[in-house]
Amino acid sequence: MLLLLLPELFALLASDLFLLLSLLTCLLEERFPKAIPYVYQAAAVMGFGHLMVSKMFLTVFDAEMRFWYNLFYLMVGLANIIAVNIYFAVSQKTWFLARVWSLAVTFPTLLISTFFIYNYGYLQAATGPISTLQIILMISFAVLGVSVFVLFSQKILEKLGWR
Amino acid sequence: MFGSLKLKKPTKFLILLLTSILIGAVNAAIFYTLTMESQFLVSSPVIRFSSAPDEPSGSTVNDAWCMLNATSYPNATLTYEQALYIENTDGSNAHSFRLRHLDVSPVNGTATVGNWSSIKFMVYNSTDFVCSLNYTVSGTDWILEPSSGETNYYSVPASTSWWIRLETLSPATATTGNTCYITIAVDVQQ
Repeated sequence: MLLLLLPELFALLASDLFLLLSLLTCLLEERFPKAIPYVYQAAAVMGFGHLMVSKMFLTVFDAEMRFWYNLFYLMVGLANIIAVNIYFAVSQKTWFLARVWSLAVTFPTLLISTFFIYNYGYLQAATGPISTLQIILMISFAVLGVSVFVLFSQKILEKLGWR
Repeated sequence: MFGSLKLKKPTKFLILLLTSILIGAVNAAIFYTLTMESQFLVSSPVIRFSSAPDEPSGSTVNDAWCMLNATSYPNATLTYEQALYIENTDGSNAHSFRLRHLDVSPVNGTATVGNWSSIKFMVYNSTDFVCSLNYTVSGTDWILEPSSGETNYYSVPASTSWWIRLETLSPATATTGNTCYITIAVDVQQ
């Protein structure tokens, strides 16, 4: 049986990402403004709002519209994860934390998101903007994978004279 | 009062963890109800029956089921050239279907079965014969052709109608007033 993949899955995923961010920023609270974990909790509640809107207007909104507003929310979640990564690297100058974050959080979350978006496009026999999005995500994921590999490879960094 | 309240890191983490579990569980529950709602949305069938020019009089044809009220004559083949349309309503995709025998009465071994020689359901596309499901009688038994009781799947192109040609024949010795009932399923691959 072909399981139906709803676009609301992206909102659910993004909401969970915000909860993850909330807990992780709490654990690293000395490096962040004190309100940040609570801001992320509030952002996760926004996911609840997304799901409720979809539930209330399921028969009114078409699948494409639901896809785009849920995807936007997921993109905001992913952007926050990447922003934290950049914050560690640039603002805090904590390279070790930035690298650990990129391997333990950024890379897996982008991988999971790409997987679901790609599958959604596949099950919907996507054409046009959604199939382009699939291609962009796959390329981004490949570039990110190489970047993480380079970031963790001490020898490559030494050869490049970056360490 | 709360301005002076300073939570220690483990307490703060615990509170955030509990609220996270709550938010995550509520979101998952709503998503689950959404999944259930989506699965039970009613839609019209993609491949459906529709009335054709030579439909037997007194027949009932609906989108998802139909009842053909056909007649057979002793020692004469009666043909309903376009008895029923099988219509693919999908404007962009082809869909496959097959005919599958479900039930026939009177059942094998009953003497009245001998009142029919053959009843054939033949599927045609716009130009050619596609497949058929035939009921022929040998003694007091119905012989199905194909013997599996089902045809292969055949793909109907988008926005295309095929038709069923119905042929009936009774032997010269048939008694008028006898009735047989044949139930056939049309399986559609979405």
